[in-house]
Amino acid sequence: MSKKKYFVKRKKTCKFTAEGIEYIDYKDIDLIRQYVPVSGKILPRRVSGTNPIYQRKLTRAIKRARLMALLPFLGD
Amino acid sequence: MPLYELGVIINASLEDEERNAFLGELKQLLAKEGASVVKEDVWGKRNLAYSINHQREGFYVFWQYDGPGTVVKPLEYKLRLSDQVLRFLNLNLDRETQRARKMAKVRAEQKAAKRAAKERAEAAAAAPVEEA
Repeated sequence: MSKKKYFVKRKKTCKFTAEGIEYIDYKDIDLIRQYVPVSGKILPRRVSGTNPIYQRKLTRAIKRARLMALLPFLGD
Repeated sequence: MPLYELGVIINASLEDEERNAFLGELKQLLAKEGASVVKEDVWGKRNLAYSINHQREGFYVFWQYDGPGTVVKPLEYKLRLSDQVLRFLNLNLDRETQRARKMAKVRAEQKAAKRAAKERAEAAAAAPVEEA
């Protein structure tokens, strides 16, 4: 029997769609941090499963948080 | 009048009195231009994610204020000229939510139109069969 690797596919969900958030606040760092790994980059949609509409809003919020020195431009 | 949100990072090494005096000046300016602060959110001293002007700490103040659009220019001018302000961000909150609401409405209409078109097509496809 050939060795085969199996993956368990996790269902990705968009948190913002589920909760019906209208505006993503750049001050809500705890929320935004979930979409910014230690590297400081913005998690892509294919990883986080965020709805395109909310990904754009999230991106805007992250960039604003960076301007206000709440998040780093460059991570570790 | 739109609702604005202003976030300011003030030099953390300033004394409380100096800082309060500066914030008081800002409030006077807002009042003079016919705006009123609706909500105040003071975070206080906080470590910056990166150093600005060789400083690692900043004093964070967030205000929501309601006022005419003519407020923005003099306010931002003052903030930009001030040495005590490390960074500021002034947003029109109404514009943020209005655009979202408008787009949600447009999308809902598009969805409804698509559904109606589909139903019509199905009805058209079903009708000739009944006639025959």
